[in-house]
Amino acid sequence: MRNAAAAVAPRGSGRRRGIRTHLPTSPWLFLAPGLLVVGGFSLYPFLSTVAHSFTDARTLRAGRFTGGANYQEMLHDPMFWTGLRNSVLYVLGVVPPLVVLPLLLALLVRRSVPGIAFFRAAFYLPVVASVVVVGLIWVWLLDDRGLINALLEALGFGRARFLSDPWLLLLSAMAVTVWKGLGYYMIIYLAALAQVPRELHEACAVDGAGPVRRFLTVTVPAVRATMVLVAALSAVNAFKVFSEVYLMAGATGGPGGEDTTLVMLVQQAGTGLSGRVGYASALSVVVFVLTLGLMLLVLRANRGEDR
Amino acid sequence: MRRHSRRTPAATAALAACALLLSACGAPDGGGDSDSAAGKVEGQVTFQTWNLKARFQKYFDGVVAEFEKKYPGTKVKWIDQPAEGYPQKLSADAAAGTLPDVVNVSPDLAYPLAKAGLALDIGTAAGKYRGEYLDGAWRSHEMPGLSGVYAFPWYLNTGPMFYNKDLFRKAGLDPAKPPTTYDRLFADALTMARKSDRRIAMLAGAPSIEDFGRYGVRLMDARGTEFTFNEPKGVELLTHYQQLYAAGALDAQALTAVAESAGRKFQQQSVAMNPGSALDLENFKRDAPDLYKNIGITDAVNNTGKANMYVQGLMVSADSKVKPAAVAFAHFVTDRRHQMAFAEQVAVFPSTKGSLDDPYFTKEDGTDATRVRVAAAKSLRTAVNYTPVVLSDQMKTVLRNAVARALQGKQSPKEALDSAVAECNRLLKTG
Repeated sequence: MRNAAAAVAPRGSGRRRGIRTHLPTSPWLFLAPGLLVVGGFSLYPFLSTVAHSFTDARTLRAGRFTGGANYQEMLHDPMFWTGLRNSVLYVLGVVPPLVVLPLLLALLVRRSVPGIAFFRAAFYLPVVASVVVVGLIWVWLLDDRGLINALLEALGFGRARFLSDPWLLLLSAMAVTVWKGLGYYMIIYLAALAQVPRELHEACAVDGAGPVRRFLTVTVPAVRATMVLVAALSAVNAFKVFSEVYLMAGATGGPGGEDTTLVMLVQQAGTGLSGRVGYASALSVVVFVLTLGLMLLVLRANRGEDR
Repeated sequence: MRRHSRRTPAATAALAACALLLSACGAPDGGGDSDSAAGKVEGQVTFQTWNLKARFQKYFDGVVAEFEKKYPGTKVKWIDQPAEGYPQKLSADAAAGTLPDVVNVSPDLAYPLAKAGLALDIGTAAGKYRGEYLDGAWRSHEMPGLSGVYAFPWYLNTGPMFYNKDLFRKAGLDPAKPPTTYDRLFADALTMARKSDRRIAMLAGAPSIEDFGRYGVRLMDARGTEFTFNEPKGVELLTHYQQLYAAGALDAQALTAVAESAGRKFQQQSVAMNPGSALDLENFKRDAPDLYKNIGITDAVNNTGKANMYVQGLMVSADSKVKPAAVAFAHFVTDRRHQMAFAEQVAVFPSTKGSLDDPYFTKEDGTDATRVRVAAAKSLRTAVNYTPVVLSDQMKTVLRNAVARALQGKQSPKEALDSAVAECNRLLKTG
């Protein structure tokens, strides 16, 4: 009996000692690879951009420190204000449809009826198509001699200058962005709708509420958090829009550059053999700050409503 | 026994990892660094072209093989980059210090590289070859503010103007007499728009810096230190284009058009005239046979007596570790015999002295192709490259935006050009 007890005790105490010898810094060792990747590919480039924004660096020339000269130049650059206006308008024009329309689509495709799978796939198709391919297709459709103008003329209306009128061009790009994003946000809403308790709908129905009232009093409150998420995501992406406008408005950002967005401005200033890296970096920093502010604004709006 | 068996795989893995590390390091790139382009022609030369492999693989493989045979001990590695994004690719290589030894450039691409000290001065390293090239072509790679010449001139091109005879006829314009002066061009353009009820435009592109040059506008001051295209003649040209735009004689999408979309408009026969090159004739025959039957060819109008010249060159990297071989190869590709062979494969023109006197460029055989070739070769004798090399992409954007504001009537032509010149000069000075 004594022998048995003695045989067990040393092994147990040995294990405990082993566990205790782990260093308090062990978790950081496991996090190290991930932190290195984030630090090397996100944090360092960001800090480098901030540093460059205070210099007059060029693509092929190191910069000299110039303080706030780039930011001061930005304030006097008419294209900066045009880009800011267009990026803000893009947010205002794109976010409301992308918050509401995918929700309606989700309600439509949620029911299990024969053939519904086709429509689910069809609505999602633009999401998986390359934005470049989508942009080019829409350019052909909206061209002066494109399908849409041919249709308008056949119906007796005149041709619309979708690709050469600055405002129509911006609206067309917004429409493409909304069209392309419907499927993506629809999926998010479908997941959220699946979480709405059936009992709430039944209770509401018992009280005599019709489909519209049930939608407003049960469905919308239940997916409010998702709506905020969709609003935040689409707002950030809209503010940083590049591809749709670049493809439809051309490298100069439409007639007279009037449809240039902030990110297009970064690209125009910073690329090429004569690129002005310092100025482009300053623009990037401003885009970052504004984007951050936009997100905080959306989140704050949500909190306000919750209270 | 168990412990022993466990250690063996770990030890094996460690040894394997060490072996991999050692092999990964490998031997560092050997070879001495020579400061001069004189010396023995040997080593590996990297050669980059601009979207030429798809159509000319056989030709370049032949040139490379011939060079390697002539200079045993040399090896040429040929890289071709697509047309789209070529300047960006070059920019990335230059910034990373990985430029190929011999690079296909145009003067405006060579300028920032030369300014950054990345392009070898051919005038110093290979000045003995100067006499082999047309003087204008050799000088096309001189850079303002820098002494020297920064690329061997390679092939040249100039653009004829294509027009649609059928559209001319329908508008009551004589298809046998296309406009040869600006006055006629502007008048015919207005007629085209009016007779077609604004459905057909004469031109698809807004004026670029080259158009200002051909009109006779003084683009820069004599020393190349300041832009001057807002002078009265520049305002005059832009005023004409503004009138065309208002009348529908300039395509509505000219403000956002790129060369590809302007060409598409011409092929759709919604635009009556379009600049192009002899290469386009083949495209028309293949893609737009109805249009091809009605194609007319004429010179692009100018007020200066000089057509516009496009120049391609071969630059040698100043950081090349095999300068003698790189210079020898660049000269080899651009010498008279090889330029002539290349020109006969495609509709481009040699930049070597005397080549344009060859019967290939002076005798017509009755076909459109030879007519275009002979006419272009003739105009290339006196042609100039109107585009200032210091005109950066951002400056081009500034000009395009100013032109667009003027065409839409949002600014007067003078205000638009004044602001464009001021901005371009500011960018020039901060460069």
